[in-house]
Order: sequence, then structure tokens, then C-alpha cells
Amino acid sequence: MNLSPDQTIMFEAWDYGVNATIFYTWIVMALLTVASLLITRNLRPDVPPNRWRTMLEVIVQGIQSQIEEVAQGPSRYLLYYAGTLFLFVATSNLLLVVPGFEPPTASLSTTTALALSVLIAVPLFGITTRGLGGYLKTYLEPSFIMLPFNIISEFSRGISLAIRLYGNIMSGAVIAAILLSVAPFFFPVVMDLLGLLTGMIQAYIFAILATVYISSATAPPPSSQPEKENP
Amino acid sequence: MSIDWITVAAQIANFLVLVWLLRRFLYRPILDGIDAREAEITNRMHEAVLAKEKAQAAERVHLDQIRALNAEQSDVAEAVRQEAETQRDALLAEAHKRLEEERMASQAHLDEERKKYAAKLQRAGGGALLSLTRKALTDLADTSLEGRIAQHLAKRIEPMAEELSAAAGKSTAAVITSRDALPESAQNDLISSLQTVFPDIPFRFETDADQPPGLVLRIGGAQLDWTVDGYIDSLGDLMDAQLAAGVDPKLAST
Repeated sequence: MNLSPDQTIMFEAWDYGVNATIFYTWIVMALLTVASLLITRNLRPDVPPNRWRTMLEVIVQGIQSQIEEVAQGPSRYLLYYAGTLFLFVATSNLLLVVPGFEPPTASLSTTTALALSVLIAVPLFGITTRGLGGYLKTYLEPSFIMLPFNIISEFSRGISLAIRLYGNIMSGAVIAAILLSVAPFFFPVVMDLLGLLTGMIQAYIFAILATVYISSATAPPPSSQPEKENP
Repeated sequence: MSIDWITVAAQIANFLVLVWLLRRFLYRPILDGIDAREAEITNRMHEAVLAKEKAQAAERVHLDQIRALNAEQSDVAEAVRQEAETQRDALLAEAHKRLEEERMASQAHLDEERKKYAAKLQRAGGGALLSLTRKALTDLADTSLEGRIAQHLAKRIEPMAEELSAAAGKSTAAVITSRDALPESAQNDLISSLQTVFPDIPFRFETDADQPPGLVLRIGGAQLDWTVDGYIDSLGDLMDAQLAAGVDPKLAST
């Protein structure tokens, strides 16, 4: 029994085996992109919104309001990043109910990649907002003695994010697989329902934590005035 | 549990591509659409505010026009009322004038009728009086009225002889007219009396149906009326007084 979809090779391209994690990631990407393209292709101010466009607006505005609530202000780049995190993780986890689909988030490589992206995004947003000196200065706060602890805290955030998401999704998928072999009719359905719930919760938690980390890095110093819009 | 670092790199790349794709096909169209709709709503609300202000201004102008029209209507109504009062006064004055004229015409007509009636009554009364007198003289005294008048005039000529001579001057003829022909004896008595005063003047007798009962003596430029005309006039005055005191309408209308 494979615990990670990384070990499942779907096909080979350019002498490299494309594993299930990357393959299903592309499926999720294609699904999100095509759905967005189809819904937003005839989007004009003079055309009244249909139900699909309204659904997307509700989702996007919901994500935006959550980000504004956490970040204490609007930020479109943060929306692009955290929103994509949420939609990717949530879609991957929702597709768990599709027979034969292996969610990419059940791979530690995927969650590590997402955690690394958060680890890279936090200083990038911080430097963009505060400048290089201003961002590095946060590692010395409240005093330079805290520098090693701040660095350890920064890395531990990414590791905890990666392990949390991976553990929840992978465990759900593994437990569903085990119960499917033991009691193929009743328990897998219940576990899939629970998996949907925990998958959505994990997607929300992952995106919110990423937003919190980035917001803490981009938050203005207490003495300075709040900025209107982040880049 | 193992990490495939090539997969990790590929997933990071995939994630960045997905960020770009969703930004290109999801976030920007949706957010731009929302912004455009909000801008459109803002514009529409601004236009609605402007339209409302315009409508309120138009309403104020309309109300002012209504007030002006009401005031003008009141002025017109007042002018019409005054004009109507003036016309009513003029019509009333004209009606009063016409009524007065009709009343005066009616009064004149009434006076004329009364005069006619009085004259008719006077003639009828005089006629009746004369007729009764004649009848009474004829029945009771076996004489006529003209004969008695001629006899009485013959007796009164002598006292008036001087005045008659002075009035007659140098006349050469005299005429005695009566309504009816005088009896022969009365003519003789009268001529004999007159010839005592005017011995050289011949007298002749004539009748005049239009003359009042009695005798009229004409000598030269002098004329002596010895008629009942004065008594008839007195009878007319008496009747006028009685009519003025209270005329029976039925009688007056005849």
C-alpha cells in the first residue's frame, strides 16, 4: 500500500515519470482554470450576473473579507496568494470523493511545497511592504537576543503547516482506504464525509495561517501610520 | 513518509502557475467586475441624487407656478367679480331708469286717460245736466233753455249798455249764435232789447252745433258769451276733484 501518491507513476514525459501528485495537481489546476475561464469569459458590467458568476463572487469576496479581517486592510496580492492556496487545497480535498482521485494534498511533497511557498512568501511580502531593513529588523524584536528564536519560529511555522495539512489529508485517505477494504459499504461513506469536512477545515486553516503569517510580516510598526494598500 | 524534492519543486512551480492563472482568469475579472458594478451603482446613485435634486427643483418651480397661477386666478376672479358688480349696477340702473320711464309713460298715459275720461264725463255730465234742465224747463215751465237765456240776457243788456257800446265801436252788423235755433218770441225780445242800445245795427241769428248751450253776441271786435260753458267747467273741476280724491279703478279704466 502506497501512503504517498508520489510513488505512483502515471506516465512518462521527457524520460521523467510524472507521478500522481503532479498529475492530479494538473487536473485540479485545469479544473479551476477552465471553470474560472468559462464563468468569467462574458463578464461585462452591462450583463447581469448569472448564478455561476454570483457563486464565484461570493467565494472571492468571502476570501477577501476573511483576509481583510485578518490583515486589517485590503490587499489584492495577498488575495491572489492566500485565495489560490485555499482554492487549491479545498478543491483537492473535495475531489477526494471522486473514485480513483488521489488528492495532491495527501502528498507530503505537495504540503511541503505549499509550506515552502508560505515560507518564501512571508519575507517577500514583508520586504515589499517594509523594505529589506525594516523586515530584517523584525527578527531583532523585541531584542537581538530573540534573533535565533525568531528564525527557528519562522521555519517551524512552515514545517507545522506542511505536517498538519499532510497528516490530516493523508490520514483521511488512508483510513478511508483501510475501511474500504474492511467494510466496503458503510464506513467509507462516513469517512469520506468526514474527510470532506476536515479537508475544508484544513484548507481554511492553511490559508488563514498563511495570511496571518504574511500579515504579521507586513503589519506596519505600531508607531507608523497604517498603509492604505499593500502592493 | 518521504519527500520527493523534485515533486516539491514541481508543485511549487505548479502553485505559482496556478496563482498566475487564477489571477488572470478568476480574481481580476471578478474583482474588476465587482469594482465596475460598484462604480456603476455609485454613478447611478449619483445620477439618482442629481435627478432627485432636479425633480425637487422642478417641483419647487411647479409649486411656485401653481402659487402664481392661484394668485393670478384670485386676481382674475376679483376683477371678474368687480366687473360683474359694475355690470350688475349698470343693468340695475338701466332697469330702474327703464322702469321709471315706463312708470312715467304709464303715469302720463293714465293722466291722459283720466283727462279724456274727465272730459268725456264732463261732456256727458254737462249734456245730461242740460238735457235734464231743458226737460225740467219744458215740463215744468213750458219754456226752453235758450228762450229763457235769451229773455234773461235781454234783461241784462241794459246795465251793460255802456260797455257794449264802447266795445262795439262803429260796427254796422251784429251776430247772435246759439247751439239750437231760438224761439221766435225769444228772438224778438232779444232784438228789442238790443235795439234800445244799438238802434242802427241789424241783428241776425245763426246756429252753431259746436257751440256750448247759450248765446254768443258778436258786435265788431266785441264778443259777449252768455253760455253754460262756465258751469260745465265748474262741473268738470268738481269731477276732477272727485277723481283726484279717489278714482274707482273700474271706472277709470273705462
